[in-house]
Amino acid sequence: MGDDDDNGGNGDASGDTGSAEAGGGGGQGGGSLLQEVQDRGTLRCGVNDAVPGFGFTGEGGEPEGFDIDFCKVIAAAVLGDADAVEYTPLSAEQRFTALQSGEIDVLSRNTTYTASRDGTEGARFLHTTFYDGQGMMVRTESGHQTLEDLAGETICVLSGTTTELNLESQFQARGIDYTPLAFEDNEPLQAAFVEERCGAWTSDKSQLAGIRSNWPEGQGGPEALTILDETMSKEPLGPVVRDGDDDWADAVNWAIYATIQAEEFGLTSDNVGQGSDDPEIQRFLGEAVEGEPFDAGLGLPDDFAVQVVTQVGNYGEIYDRNVGPGSALELPRDFNALWTDGGLQFAPPYR
Amino acid sequence: MTAATHTTTRRPPFWRNIRVLRWTFQLVFLAAVVLFLLFLYSNVTYNLDRAGLPTGFSYLEQPAGFAIPDSDFRSSQALWEALLVGVQNTIKVALLGIVLATIIGVVVGVSRLSSNWLVRRAAALYVETFRNIPVLLIIIFWYLGVVIRLPPIREGVELLDMLAISNRGIVVPWFDKVGGAALFGIFALVGFAVAAGAWIWRTRRFDQTGQPHRRVLWSLGALLLILAIGFVLSGRPWTLDTPETGELSTSGGFRLAPEYAALLIALALYTASHIAEIVRGSILAVPRGQGEAADAVGLSGFQRLRFVVLPQAFRISVPPISNQYLNLTKNSSLGVAISYYEATKVTQVSIAQSAPAVQAILVLMGIYLVLSLSIAAVTNLFNRRLTLKGRR
Repeated sequence: MGDDDDNGGNGDASGDTGSAEAGGGGGQGGGSLLQEVQDRGTLRCGVNDAVPGFGFTGEGGEPEGFDIDFCKVIAAAVLGDADAVEYTPLSAEQRFTALQSGEIDVLSRNTTYTASRDGTEGARFLHTTFYDGQGMMVRTESGHQTLEDLAGETICVLSGTTTELNLESQFQARGIDYTPLAFEDNEPLQAAFVEERCGAWTSDKSQLAGIRSNWPEGQGGPEALTILDETMSKEPLGPVVRDGDDDWADAVNWAIYATIQAEEFGLTSDNVGQGSDDPEIQRFLGEAVEGEPFDAGLGLPDDFAVQVVTQVGNYGEIYDRNVGPGSALELPRDFNALWTDGGLQFAPPYR
Repeated sequence: MTAATHTTTRRPPFWRNIRVLRWTFQLVFLAAVVLFLLFLYSNVTYNLDRAGLPTGFSYLEQPAGFAIPDSDFRSSQALWEALLVGVQNTIKVALLGIVLATIIGVVVGVSRLSSNWLVRRAAALYVETFRNIPVLLIIIFWYLGVVIRLPPIREGVELLDMLAISNRGIVVPWFDKVGGAALFGIFALVGFAVAAGAWIWRTRRFDQTGQPHRRVLWSLGALLLILAIGFVLSGRPWTLDTPETGELSTSGGFRLAPEYAALLIALALYTASHIAEIVRGSILAVPRGQGEAADAVGLSGFQRLRFVVLPQAFRISVPPISNQYLNLTKNSSLGVAISYYEATKVTQVSIAQSAPAVQAILVLMGIYLVLSLSIAAVTNLFNRRLTLKGRR
């Protein structure tokens, strides 16, 4: 990361210990990461590479998924180019260290927003892009219906996740005896589950749906697996940046809000180029209303919303493409519907 | 030339004085090291502070939150207690691994020098295979390729009600405490005392008369006899607890978790291949004349090995083998790859669950340092006792 940071230059904090490197330029008062990313011309995004629908390697070898698309959203807003992203695949255990050390600019890797992560990881959680809950997946043939059926069972879980903690506290509270088996990565976990080393797999429901949809036909296909109805926790997932860099956090946040606002306005990647007579939409798209284009002072280009929506799409498009009813995961919108449809996705007014 | 004779009488100036120079260099070097360490320390604390990360060690008192399989650890206990469980698991795999690796290594090492072509070649094949594959691969192979491919629990294999094998664990019969153990303990103490007495008696007799001493036979016989009597008299304090396979897990007996078994086997096999080479080299290092002398006094092939060659080879091999013990202990940290909860895994999980990374890794390094130094201390002590007097 060293060479990327040296061009920060104007960092006033770098003088006294000569250790500007580790700080990654995300300091107080000095150059914001926003400026640094724009100077560099690429966005470094920490992602998952093992969860179908959210972050995984597609058939062409390119990263694909819901979280990946939000990396593109940020790049489109900040740099005007959705493809100017450098992806760093991270395990659950590596992700915060990578963020703290400045190896990545933003973490978009199904990361649950919790108090202690906000407090002790030096992380700033931004707008929740996906409201999720923890579920439990079992083999259909096992006949398990409820969590209570799992007494005495070995349960596979990813270590270093909120899932691991929820599993323990939920089963403790209900007095269900179980053996946890926590893996670092999804691959050995899946191997263990296939070989029936563990009889259940717990994770965010969206992830389980992704894994189930991709279950090999040789193992019986998706029908061989059942996701129990119970939801064990609330898991708000969203992008994360380092603490102490408000300019950067604002820029990332508003890039995400743009996708939600666009859906609310009915703007899609197809029709956003057609323009509109509505002054609110014109303001949102950075068109000159009464002379000057509206500048919200976010440090983003005037037309950032246009770039986001044309290059990546609005929130609904991103959702449908990756995880929605049209995709292999077939997840209903539920909480992730717009607030106007009774969901939780809400963007503050753009004015 | 004449000038040179003059300078010998004068003291050289202090910047040419060799003693002053030596001290100066030492001090400068020391100061540089100290400054460097101080710089590292201030750099770390400064940057942690700047990133808003905690700098102390108070996180160790926080409740861990996560569970550890196959232990009594509760998630509400503190993080340092979780680390302690991790250290116990490290020691568990290291100690048994050292024992297994030594046994396999010595057998294979001696076999490599066998006059039997097949034995010699088989041993060579073993050594060359395991020595040349990264240990991490061996571990993953044993876990993903062998242990979890054992039959699932509903198709688990049971042998004579004594051994239950499935990919939820390998279960062997174990003792189950019933009561009366204290009385049995007294018998055991008496047994060991009598065994020691028999040993000393037979040794003396051997020294005096030259009769075969058969110490092992006498001592072990006495010990087992007394233990057997004690077991019956104290009302059978232990019964054999045989494994019982349920639908989802086994109960009873002693269970070898799949992760533990895979790590143990892999580490033992890998380290044994190195120990075998050390054993072979040490045997070859015993001067040939020693073996010839043994032949000359009419010792059998086994006696030659047992009384002449091996004792000398043993001395040579102790330092390098103890090095392998250290390697095995440190390699146990690779258990992380197969979800075995040793010290490294616990540390990694705790970092992911918001323990500060820098401090947690420092603590982990401290743990391995202490473990390694302890093993080194024991083997050094052993080595010193073995060293021939006057050969220090």
